[in-house]
Amino acid sequence: MNQKITQLKQELSKAVIGQETMIEGLLIGLLCDGHILVEGVPGLAKTTTINAFSKALGLDFKRIQFTPDLLPSDIIGAQIYNPQDHSFSIKKGPLFTHLLLADEINRAPAKVQSALLEVMQERQVTIAEETFKLESPFLVMATQNPIEQEGVYALPEAQLDRFMMKIVVEHNSEEEELEIMRKGASKSFAEVQKVLSIEELHTLQKELEKIHIDKELEQYIVHLISATRDPAKFKLSSITESIMFGASPRASIDLYKAAKAKAFLRGNDFVTPADIGYVVHDVLRHRIVLSYEARAKGVSADEIISSIVETLPIP
Amino acid sequence: MKNSLGKLFLILLCTLWLDAEDFKHHFTLSNTSPYVKEAVIMTLDLNQTNRDKVLFFHFTLKKSPDYEFHRLNVKETEEHHTAQVHYEYLIYPLRAGEIQLHFNLIQKATTEENLAYSFSGDRDNVKGLTTVDTQIDLPPLTLKAKALPKGTSLVGDFNLTHSLKTNKAKAYEPLPFQVTITGSGYPPLLKDLLPKNINFTLFKEKPIVNAVNSSQGTSSTVIYPMALSHSKSFDLGSIVLKVFNPKTQKSYKLKVPKQHFDISKVDVKSLVDKIDSPKPLQSDWSWLTTILTSLLSYLVVFAAGYLTAITLKWKKKSTVQTSDPLKEKIEACKDEKALLQLLMATDSKAYASSIEKLEKGLYGNAKINFNNVKQEILEKII
Repeated sequence: MNQKITQLKQELSKAVIGQETMIEGLLIGLLCDGHILVEGVPGLAKTTTINAFSKALGLDFKRIQFTPDLLPSDIIGAQIYNPQDHSFSIKKGPLFTHLLLADEINRAPAKVQSALLEVMQERQVTIAEETFKLESPFLVMATQNPIEQEGVYALPEAQLDRFMMKIVVEHNSEEEELEIMRKGASKSFAEVQKVLSIEELHTLQKELEKIHIDKELEQYIVHLISATRDPAKFKLSSITESIMFGASPRASIDLYKAAKAKAFLRGNDFVTPADIGYVVHDVLRHRIVLSYEARAKGVSADEIISSIVETLPIP
Repeated sequence: MKNSLGKLFLILLCTLWLDAEDFKHHFTLSNTSPYVKEAVIMTLDLNQTNRDKVLFFHFTLKKSPDYEFHRLNVKETEEHHTAQVHYEYLIYPLRAGEIQLHFNLIQKATTEENLAYSFSGDRDNVKGLTTVDTQIDLPPLTLKAKALPKGTSLVGDFNLTHSLKTNKAKAYEPLPFQVTITGSGYPPLLKDLLPKNINFTLFKEKPIVNAVNSSQGTSSTVIYPMALSHSKSFDLGSIVLKVFNPKTQKSYKLKVPKQHFDISKVDVKSLVDKIDSPKPLQSDWSWLTTILTSLLSYLVVFAAGYLTAITLKWKKKSTVQTSDPLKEKIEACKDEKALLQLLMATDSKAYASSIEKLEKGLYGNAKINFNNVKQEILEKII
């Protein structure tokens, strides 16, 4: 099965240069049935990446540009009256897809965000008293632009918790950018071919369940999450004032699943502390609510997570 | 005096009805043979006879050195085709003999349309009234003014009062003195109130006049404020003013008795002001001090900022050169587990190969050289 993952990565590399963090985050999201929040400036191949994923996996892909005038019915769908036969028919919205790119999710008002996040959690949509189950896999990759904060509706903490991981996308290295420049100018990006079917993806998801995780590591995960809620208990008094709210139980589940997925992607059938270390920042950074003191001092969630990992002894 | 001049002397001396083309006019004079400076009331009535026109009038007496006049009243109807205007003037003849009163009358004729057009204007769009002006020649009226008794200074019925706060003062100190003449008649304005031969210094102001003209004549109060000064005691001779009252045709005198002023001597030297005020101009170099202080302040602030920047730069450079927290932490790690934990906390993806080696050593029973792995990581940091 690891060959399939390698093939998938190779196929994606035809369209996407670099951005391993985002690709791996999406893979983990797909394997764990989680949703991914991506933060990065415009032009970092976010749309290209998820589009390449849809092609490589033979999945449907839709993109919604979130704007302040967007309505819930614009994304969910609506009941439309047909005057010819005097009947109502359901017009399904762009949510009915496998891979959904919710571009600049924080530009839409709260009611639209709420409608999307409810669907992300329930994986079903109700239009005019009729409920539709969404096909599996259903992955939402939502993006946020960190530099433009005027006129945005910041996602509340409860809604951020619905995202399994928050990936911070950085600019490519100079070598990668040179390659992108050359390929982009000569239009020599190869077409991405389907290398994995939905069935095979489901098989991979089942394989994930077989990954072994030691009880000590399970305890380690619980300790990491607990330390975000009560740092003093783990001799982390220095960060107590920086945290207003710690991570939720959903964070424990997602960290557990993400660590397994990471081990799987690394070709292991068991989880090591390093697997947890690889994903802990991505799983927790959007779930820790910083205090005003921390914001004033410029302390980031990543620094708090690093302090916790550095302090809690690994098994 | 209380009775109206008009009632007493209302003798119609001249009633002239002149038939003009468009209107009639009618003059009256309260007295045609007054004394010099006796009040005469003149009225003029203009009555429109031609109802086809819209008439307006402009009337005034012509100025002359022989008489003085004041307009007391103008009454006019608001009807445009039956204009009626009544003028009332107060006239004082200024010399004896025959005096002719000359007039200036302009008839202004217009139409209803012109009137309506001028009314249609407003503050921001003024529309003038177009009129056809005709100069009307009115024959002059004659007054035969009688001469005043010799030595008369004032004409009318007046009272005289004077005020003097003190008649004792130091040499050259001013002594305020005020004379007030009140009553009705020709305004009691005199060029020289005090006797001509005076042996003291006189400071005087323009007389304060408060006069009201009416059909009864002129009621007035004239105040003569002045101050007297001298180096030694002196006398102010009595002031005598001869007044003629035309109503009673009798003369009487207004008097201010002789005044004596006691002046005490003072040392003249003490009056000389020896202190310069303001003080004589001296060279002011404060501007130079200000500039130098500002320059020094600027230099101090600049030097402080420059030194701070240099210090921070050196501090930053020395910090970068001497200590890297991660490097120190890595060097402080004593075993594989501690190093793995540190790398997990730092940036797992950047040290993936080292992490893999450490994992193999810790959980895979592979033998690794801890120091080599450490060195490998340190080299990556550098």
